[in-house]
Amino acid sequence: MKKATDNKIRKKGLGVKAGRGIGNTAVYIGLVIITLIWLFPFFGIVLESFRVETPMQVSYLWPHKFGFDNYIRLFKETDFLRWFVNTGIMGVCTAVLQTVFVLAMSYGLSRLRFKGRKFLMNAMLVLGMFPGFLTMILIYKVFSDFHLIEQMAPLGLIIVYCASSGMGYYVSKGFFDTIPKSLDEAARVDGATRLQVFYKVILPLSKPIVIYTILMGFMAPWGDFMLASYLIHENSQGMSVAVGMFEWLSKTMVNTNYTMFCAAGVVVAIPVTTVFLLLQKYYVEGVTGGAVKG
Amino acid sequence: MKKLNDLDYLKLNKFQAFLYNLKLFFCSIPMWLKKAGLKIVEFFKNCGLGIKNEFVDIGTTFTKGNWAVKLSFFIFGFGNFFYGQILRGILFLVFEIIFFAYMFVPSGGIYWLSKANFFQTGNTVGNVQGGYVYNELYDTDVWVNGDDSVKVLLYALLTVIFIVAFIYTWRLQVKQCRICMDITAKGKKVKSGKQDLKSLVDDEFHKSLLALPVFGIAAFTVLPIIYMILIAFTSYDAAHNGYANLFTWVGLDNFNELLNFGYGGLGLAFGEILAWTLMWAFFATFTNYFLGMFVAIMINKKGIKIKKFWRTVLVMTIAIPQFVSLLYVAKLFDATGIIGKLLLNWNLLPDSMIAANQLSLWLNPVSAKILVIIINIWVGIPYIMLMATGILMNIPQDLYESSRIDGANNFQQYTKITLPYMMFVMGPYLLTSFVNNLNNFNVIYLLTQNNQLINTEIGTAGGVSVCHTDLLITWLYKMTLNSAETKYNLASVIGILVFVVVAVLSLIVYNVIPSTRNEEDYK
Amino acid sequence: MASVKLTNVKKVYGKNVVAVDDFNLDIADKEFVVFVGPSGCGKSTTLRMIAGLEDITEGTVEIDGTIVNDLQPRDRDIAMVFQNYALYPHLTVFENMAFPLRLKKMPQEEVYERVTKAAEILGITEYLMRKPRALSGGQRQRVAIGRAMVRDSKVFLMDEPLSNLDAKLRNQMRAEIILLREKIDTTFIYVTHDQTEAMTLGDRIVIMKDGFIQQVGTPTEVFDMPVNLFVSEFIGAPKMNTFKTELVCEYGKYYVTPYGAKVEISGEKAKKLAEKGVYSQSIILGVRPEHITLTTSENPAAIACRIEVNEMMGSELHLHTVTENGDKLIVRVPTVTLEDDERKALHHGNTIYVTFGSKVMHFFDVDTEKNLLV
Repeated sequence: MKKATDNKIRKKGLGVKAGRGIGNTAVYIGLVIITLIWLFPFFGIVLESFRVETPMQVSYLWPHKFGFDNYIRLFKETDFLRWFVNTGIMGVCTAVLQTVFVLAMSYGLSRLRFKGRKFLMNAMLVLGMFPGFLTMILIYKVFSDFHLIEQMAPLGLIIVYCASSGMGYYVSKGFFDTIPKSLDEAARVDGATRLQVFYKVILPLSKPIVIYTILMGFMAPWGDFMLASYLIHENSQGMSVAVGMFEWLSKTMVNTNYTMFCAAGVVVAIPVTTVFLLLQKYYVEGVTGGAVKG
Repeated sequence: MKKLNDLDYLKLNKFQAFLYNLKLFFCSIPMWLKKAGLKIVEFFKNCGLGIKNEFVDIGTTFTKGNWAVKLSFFIFGFGNFFYGQILRGILFLVFEIIFFAYMFVPSGGIYWLSKANFFQTGNTVGNVQGGYVYNELYDTDVWVNGDDSVKVLLYALLTVIFIVAFIYTWRLQVKQCRICMDITAKGKKVKSGKQDLKSLVDDEFHKSLLALPVFGIAAFTVLPIIYMILIAFTSYDAAHNGYANLFTWVGLDNFNELLNFGYGGLGLAFGEILAWTLMWAFFATFTNYFLGMFVAIMINKKGIKIKKFWRTVLVMTIAIPQFVSLLYVAKLFDATGIIGKLLLNWNLLPDSMIAANQLSLWLNPVSAKILVIIINIWVGIPYIMLMATGILMNIPQDLYESSRIDGANNFQQYTKITLPYMMFVMGPYLLTSFVNNLNNFNVIYLLTQNNQLINTEIGTAGGVSVCHTDLLITWLYKMTLNSAETKYNLASVIGILVFVVVAVLSLIVYNVIPSTRNEEDYK
Repeated sequence: MASVKLTNVKKVYGKNVVAVDDFNLDIADKEFVVFVGPSGCGKSTTLRMIAGLEDITEGTVEIDGTIVNDLQPRDRDIAMVFQNYALYPHLTVFENMAFPLRLKKMPQEEVYERVTKAAEILGITEYLMRKPRALSGGQRQRVAIGRAMVRDSKVFLMDEPLSNLDAKLRNQMRAEIILLREKIDTTFIYVTHDQTEAMTLGDRIVIMKDGFIQQVGTPTEVFDMPVNLFVSEFIGAPKMNTFKTELVCEYGKYYVTPYGAKVEISGEKAKKLAEKGVYSQSIILGVRPEHITLTTSENPAAIACRIEVNEMMGSELHLHTVTENGDKLIVRVPTVTLEDDERKALHHGNTIYVTFGSKVMHFFDVDTEKNLLV
């Protein structure tokens, strides 16, 4: 009797293992296909950027002739460098300011209890239901009086990106909420003011979320098209890469600028992707609430 | 409807239980409405009560207060000075002086308020129309500035806010005086200015922390949104830009125009765009949700190696700025693009499209819509995959172990443990994601802007030509883009309507989730 | 090194959830006081009000004669050990213990001296350079205590410091705390839900329930003279047996009649009953399991009961029995005195006869549940 069950278990065990083997093969095939689909556009952009035989879009993948012409043109004939610097400056400033705003807001809402806290959170929830873009109607008018548009649009955009960033407190509040409250209490009994609790105890423990917030701030100006295009108009001096490069694909310009667009895309993607992949660990921890260690 | 008790409910088989829950759901709708109604009534009751209490309190403060408290009803901060809180006193007093100075100087608060004609339908915002006047010196007509409605409205709004702040501050300092009086009467000491400053890093640390972010939100979100709501009741557009032509208060005209389904109204356009917006948000959210979860499960399957590599590949999509990848992918599907050409050459496009000379997927309304949803999957899966991975990691392993002992196989484990767990935890995220997709400007605009597919049935609406793939957000973006056709007033109305849609959706979801039977299962 | 005085302290959460009410207590300098009670009784809340981590709704808390209601925790000169240790994960053990001293801007030599001295006392010198996550539960608890020790504060507060440890370690740490107390020599306030900890550690025990103090007294007092049914059942393990019965007063003599048996009350207890003017009435009778002895059926004071569960604890047997009318009765029998065949008779299913003397009885009023002799 006992032997029979033993055999059964052994058999079943084998079956499970074999089943898993077949299942895994299917999964591997799926993952490889996914990888190909997801990497194809990047691969394509890079190839496209080295194509020199024509500036137009073509319907074959492999360039007939490789060269750096597109890159040279990019820096010599266009304001791309200017846009790139603009966006870089915006990225750094936004990263710093936005981090300050977001951390202050989320820490305050997570760790401190005060009158009006619930009201504040509800108010932000309701405000978030309006399309944020509509605030630009007034902001544009006011900024044009202060000359914060067109050429000075980068400065105006930094203000726009940062001023209301406190409303994006959710992720970091979620992080702060997971730090045990007794740490604050212990520190306060040990003689710390609330400010000291913040920078001596909680901040050192919040490295992942601080880096996550910085990263998000840095990435914002690179990806934003809507707000930027609204403040910049067509002033080449004040453009960010997104707005500037968007023009190149318009009906009138695409035939002369397509490969250059791809070259510019590569130049833009390199710093951002590098920073991102270096700090990927923190990004992943931020999004997953610390469950996945990059 | 009669509610079953728990034991009776357990007797139902799956199908009956499903029917029962469905019935319960629909039967409870009137109850929610009633509840919501009651809540609103209660809210106003509480407000009324609060205001009444406030007035009573102010009254007793005045009658019972000593002369210093009484005087502080008129001179801000007097009580604070009296009780030795010099710092607070100075701040209050300075505020009062600034307020009155601002209100009564020429072209100060009163001036702007009188110009704004708040909500007087038919009246202009501002009352001096600029115009060309004959100038003897130059012997020609010269432009003479009048009011600028935009500015008049802004300053008037700021003045109103200032007045509200003034009343609040008045109330605050009167209250503080009273508290000072009470504290002193008890023989205790009131807080000194030094202590006040010190408490800003301790007791009142939230004030120092939140001051800047909250001010930012107030100035750059609250103020513009209130302003936008006001605009919705005016005729602010390219023809009435406030400077060359004052704009007028028009009451509900804009709402009427947008919701008018008859001739000359925008109801049809609005309805069609709203329908597509909702459909888009629905598909974009759920395709991403299920496929993202699926990919996460694939990557995290036991025995799969180099998990980090698979993850990184997907995360790269997040790293590269969307406008680069989206614009490139959009071009791929053009008639001249690699994929577009392949589809053409291999005759994969439906004949009807070829016949209509629609040579790429972008040129047919249906295929264009499907394509944006598919490309959005490409953009969105990595986020969901990451989030789902986090949740997968948090599923307690002993659940799997105990289910294996109970006799579950891999597939059963997946359907009975993994899926329900993830669905439950990610439920709230679905709402956020849905709302984000309603306003997903980037994906739609970047993908389709260069392949304008004008909706010929609608043609132009609100001064801009409407595409088949336009969402409300891209529509209103076009309306406000600086051109000869801007319609700020209509854009504002659309904004308000988007808010209404989102608010109603959120309310429903918040009410439905707690009423489901299995709420606490995974907590 | 200070007295603590709580006067009419009340804590209300939100609008009407009363956590602590009418709390009056004088704690003398260098006293070790234990707050004990079931979870939710308000003991931790009271401690946290003393620490300044919770606002005090009503009443006053004084430390060393000054009212501290409006003082921040850091201005109260207290030290506190938390249930989950609350060690700073990013700091080494040394820096954890030095944290309060650094905040006071103490010079490095003194910090070094104090921390190493405390570490030595607690036996954690070799871990000073480790991070908390590399320590075991017991070691972490020592660090937490050390962090509180280095401050030389007026009052030492401990909030269930042992409840996250396993049973064996808990016993060991309990003994260490007793030793520690002699070395630190300050005022201790200790919160626990475990009556054993309370009995072994406290100079005085404060037993709480639903926000109210039930009894304050030395361990002997609360054990021998519980003021009410709740205290009598809460203190002592296994818990006291209580059952409804009749108190009969005949010709100046008192009897109780549990389950048909008739037990005369003699000596001190009878005198006290007479003094209090208690006559025939229904009462709740309480007898601790260790005060019940085995007897034979001939004894007129014998109660027959059937053994349901027999727990062998080593030095003693815990017999969970059922009387004829279904009441549960726990009997504790020391194993040393038992012969082998006697022991075999204490098998589950068997009926045994038990009795108890009047000296160990506790009488409670049926309605108020108060001790009739207090």
